Amino acid sequence: IQSANMLLRKIVRSSVLPFAAQHGMKKDLFPLSRTLSLSLCLKQDKSCEPSEKLDLDEWKKVMKSGLQEEVSETVSEPTELSSLAAARETLEMWRLAGRAVPENISEEQLKTFMECPSKSAKKKYLRYLHLKELHKRNEKRKMDEKRERRLEAQDQASKTDETKKSSFMCVWSSTMDKAYNWRAAQSMIFGQPLVFDMSYEKEMSVREVTNTVSQIVLSESCNRRSVDPFHIHFCNFKEDSLYHREFIKQYREAWGKLLITVTDQCYTEVFPKDKLIYLTADSPKVMKIFDHDKIYIVGSMVDKSIKTGVSLARAKRLGLETAALPLDKYLLWSTGAKNLTLDQMMHILLTLKDTADWEKALEFVPKRKYCGFVNKPVKELKKTLDLINTLKLGKGREEVGKQFAKSYSKKYKLK
Amino acid sequence: VQPPEKPLQAEEWNKLREDFQSPEIFEEVMLNRMIRCNSPIDVAKSLLTHLAKHNGDIAYNVLVKYLTLCVQQGRVSEICDVYDIMKVRFKILESGAYNLLIRGLSNSDQWRMALTILEEVKKIMTPSRSCYESCIKAASRHQEMKLAFELYDEMLAKDVVPTLDVLQLLFDFSRGVKGAELQKELFGILLYLRENQIYPHKAFMRSIKLWFESIPGGNWRGHLTNIKDSGQCPVCNHQLEDSNLTEEEYSNLSERIIRDVIHGTDTFRKTSPQEFEAFQTFVENRLPFDIVIDGLNVSHIKSRKMQCQNLFDAVNCLAKENARLLVLGRKHMLMNSSNWKREIMKEMQKKADFFFAENISEDDAFLLYATLRSGKHCKFVTRDFLRDHKACLTDNQTRHLFRKWQRGHQIVLSSSAEGRSIKFLVSFPAAPAFRYDCVIQTTGDTWHIPYKDVFEEKYSYQVPRKWLCFQQK
Repeated sequence: IQSANMLLRKIVRSSVLPFAAQHGMKKDLFPLSRTLSLSLCLKQDKSCEPSEKLDLDEWKKVMKSGLQEEVSETVSEPTELSSLAAARETLEMWRLAGRAVPENISEEQLKTFMECPSKSAKKKYLRYLHLKELHKRNEKRKMDEKRERRLEAQDQASKTDETKKSSFMCVWSSTMDKAYNWRAAQSMIFGQPLVFDMSYEKEMSVREVTNTVSQIVLSESCNRRSVDPFHIHFCNFKEDSLYHREFIKQYREAWGKLLITVTDQCYTEVFPKDKLIYLTADSPKVMKIFDHDKIYIVGSMVDKSIKTGVSLARAKRLGLETAALPLDKYLLWSTGAKNLTLDQMMHILLTLKDTADWEKALEFVPKRKYCGFVNKPVKELKKTLDLINTLKLGKGREEVGKQFAKSYSKKYKLK
Repeated sequence: VQPPEKPLQAEEWNKLREDFQSPEIFEEVMLNRMIRCNSPIDVAKSLLTHLAKHNGDIAYNVLVKYLTLCVQQGRVSEICDVYDIMKVRFKILESGAYNLLIRGLSNSDQWRMALTILEEVKKIMTPSRSCYESCIKAASRHQEMKLAFELYDEMLAKDVVPTLDVLQLLFDFSRGVKGAELQKELFGILLYLRENQIYPHKAFMRSIKLWFESIPGGNWRGHLTNIKDSGQCPVCNHQLEDSNLTEEEYSNLSERIIRDVIHGTDTFRKTSPQEFEAFQTFVENRLPFDIVIDGLNVSHIKSRKMQCQNLFDAVNCLAKENARLLVLGRKHMLMNSSNWKREIMKEMQKKADFFFAENISEDDAFLLYATLRSGKHCKFVTRDFLRDHKACLTDNQTRHLFRKWQRGHQIVLSSSAEGRSIKFLVSFPAAPAFRYDCVIQTTGDTWHIPYKDVFEEKYSYQVPRKWLCFQQK
């Protein structure tokens, strides 16, 4: 048996076996029960050969050996790091540790990062940059794929060489733009004014200003595309303010050609006071109808750190009438703050202007914020809502009671 | 995945990786599981060896995970090895690895190395709380109390807030140790607790007690006790500190309330300048009041009753003994409505002064102003916790003052469920008036330390009722 084993081992070593296996000759070569004899001898093989034994610290050797050259290189470098370089280094280590950190970071961003007042602020800022980077990369990938597909389609089209004939005239976007601009120009003469109050810069962080401006850009574009646009006024607009710089960043050269009125005057100087209505969620008055003779003011502010009553204070100071959207009257509110984004406001106001239909207008309130429209008496709906919440959250009755007590303390201060 | 029990060969690791659903994060997941199951270190080593041979390198996050496992099992030599490798491989490390290294080394004979690493960390960033705490623990465990306190002081200087845990430890390890310096440091900790209105829990209190009684030649004797309502300690008959603010604190607080709470960033947010001025002249002409009442808050005490009836009951109740009352309300209360009857309102106005703010103004701010303006004896009535107003104050010191003042001056009314009367729960919260201040306090030869039972749930507005009294014989 031993000699047979030796022979087999030799065969294995001389790599006949893989060869045989490749060519499907196993069966012919080993007509005997292969599994029994071969596996037995292989097992023995493993245990008796010392070179196969695991060296558990080998990784250390590898790690250290691979470094010798690198170390000699880095020695010459100055060991003291400038604060910027140190920050960059720290970021790199965080990235290696698998934290949400951007791969590339500009000098400016690095400085912003270092100016963050606390650890959590730093983390948040990096996370924001990281997500931005991810979005950008995904966007680029999608664009590339799209281009490829288009090229492919073009290839095929040129092969078949067939041009489609259409009886419709092709309306290019530039033509559309002309039409829109015509309407916007008309609104500048005859349209109802809508004021954006640009005096909240001090109240906001840089990122909030950026968000505000992009929301205004969205609102402006949807206004331009509407059938009967507002005549948009930017009031209290300071030259070279943060708002201004952000606008230029977003609009570029189009900023000078916008069909809107920009002024550093206050709305009270531009319009008669009794025609102005300041729209704010904090207002005790609720808007009943959209008045075509009034001039509505929207505060250009994003407040992430809920600053209650800032815009109400502004209206109070100037002695203006205020109004809030009748959200509670038409919607069964579930979660979220009652302040809406500027573009949502614009959609709602445009719809009101065209249709005077509250239900249609309030479609633009984000769906996550409300459960549905009020079509039954409110009390009944509240009951069902409570029931749903109780079931959904698995909360006992006491829990709901507590919740009620919590909101109760707020309630009795209101009325 | 279940981590293997024995070290594996390279092929076996390869096979496991192939079977795994997302091979690119295989080693991370595997090491995480090993940490969770506290697997033998050799298994992790075999994985690292496999990785090193396969890729020629091991990623930083994998090294950190391995380090976690080593720290978890207290493998000091391994920790040192990993540190050596990391040091050559990377210019600096990030906080996670530093934390682990310091934690791992501070629990061993190599604890001095943890201190060197701490020095290294300081060059790059503010070390985390756990870094400092590990080092302090290590130092005090080896009876290097001076070093421990140096680290502790440095920690405070850098605004890193220590846990009660480490403070307790400092007391534990200083037990029976001589030295005036050391005593000063420990009294310093007690004063730190006083300043930040932190109350030690039961176990911590015991550590403090044992330390006090162990001071060589100190002759301190500690007793657990409850302080009388009058503020007298039943053990040593010492009168505790008054809950009243000092003149300076008082004027400071009123100034801050006007500046931060009433005006804030914009006076128009809570009231308007005209209204506030009108209110000021109103108050100045009628000063001083004894009790200021938040009319709307009080009117909701019994939900079944008419709101103005509730307020009427409260005013009647408080109007005894010629107390001068001020009721704050809003203008809508003057409109004759189902809840606010004109006759009753008229009746009430004979018994108390009323000020009606605009419907959209905040009456709480007026409440605070009128009470503070009337002087130290004046109390106010509301069930509101006034948390939002406290939050308007800009610094911690003033917030503490506010809480202290609130404890001594707020009256909470509560209605008995079935009875008709309105009961008083004088002071806040649901406790007899605190005439004494509930903080750690000393006169030099006595110490009084309030403490809380760990098991007892304590809200931020509640103060402990149990005390530890020390006197020097």
